[in-house]
Amino acid sequence: MPINYSAIQSALQEFVTSVSNVQGASIMSPDGLAIASSLPAGMEEERVAAMSAAMLALGERIGRELSRGQIERILVEGEKGYAIVSSCTEDAVLIVLTDEKVKLGVINLEVRQLIDRLRPSLTFAKTNVA
Amino acid sequence: MKAPEQIMRVVVTGPVGAGKTTFIKTISEIESIDTDRRATDEMAHLKPTTTVAMDFGRVTFGPNMALHLYGTPGQERFNFMWDILLRQAHGIVLLAPAHRPKDFFAASRLLRYARQRAPEAPLLIAATHSDLPQAWPIADILPAFGIDASESQIPTLSINATAERDVARTLIALVERYAERSNAKRIAS
Ligand SMILES: Nc1nc2c(ncn2[C@@H]2O[C@H](COP(=O)(O)OP(=O)(O)OP(=O)(O)O)[C@@H](O)[C@H]2O)c(=O)[nH]1
Ligand SMILES: [Mg+2]
Repeated sequence: MPINYSAIQSALQEFVTSVSNVQGASIMSPDGLAIASSLPAGMEEERVAAMSAAMLALGERIGRELSRGQIERILVEGEKGYAIVSSCTEDAVLIVLTDEKVKLGVINLEVRQLIDRLRPSLTFAKTNVA
Repeated sequence: MKAPEQIMRVVVTGPVGAGKTTFIKTISEIESIDTDRRATDEMAHLKPTTTVAMDFGRVTFGPNMALHLYGTPGQERFNFMWDILLRQAHGIVLLAPAHRPKDFFAASRLLRYARQRAPEAPLLIAATHSDLPQAWPIADILPAFGIDASESQIPTLSINATAERDVARTLIALVERYAERSNAKRIAS
């Protein structure tokens, strides 16, 4: 089964419009190539993809080095809101952008549920052509 | 009391697959840190993984100097990492894959970028994969970069990034450059 881009795209769009305080979301491969996004105007998908992949890889590495166990998410907290990067599957990374008023407990739960919904459409079928 | 250690930050850059991660892994005294991920783009047929953030390694150099080695990603989409790493550089090693002339253009672009971001830092060019039969001789690589080899002040070497001796030779050449510059500055001031 190939990746269902339009299903992922609509799931992201729905997430961004229906969850309060969320401003954008994007999915990329762990090596930083964009898969699907619903981002604020003027934000470049390619750049977001590369930066999210770099952040996750570095965060996971720091987590391992400093014995933090399994890494749940990488968080950037700014004056104007959060950028939250999580690993979805072996083949996909998710970044969610929120405003500063978001409740972290709520958004963490929403993100986890989104990942659960997306997971089936995000695993590249390892087609074993003999 | 132990003499304070001088730290020189060396940035290892170059196009995809030049051997940046390998270079650092070959020489680092600590287990080098990499952020390689499975490649899913058109490079995947060349090699299975690619650096997405940075590499890090460390080498002691004499009694009171340590080199901190930072490897950049090679892919253009990670150019924000080039920026972050190059701005801190005390010295730069630009690796160019001598067996892949198609990548010389990308290497020369990176050279210009590095020059612009870290104009003070001494830089040298090492052509990797020189152990392979199809590798270009270094004398032919510089002109492909648009550099006149006879006029250029940039030191160049042909190396195998998997050989510790070659990597050490490269770093020694860079440290010498760095020392010359620091001395020249001290005399001038
Ligand atoms: N024979 C030979 N192989 C090399 C040399 N340098 C690197 N390699 C091999 O080339 C491949 C790619 O090396 P990497 O170190 O991953 O390249 P990189 O520059 O870090 O690549 P990116 O992170 O994707 O930009 C690996 O399989 C290395 O073993 C060399 O000088 N000679
Ligand atoms: Mg690398």
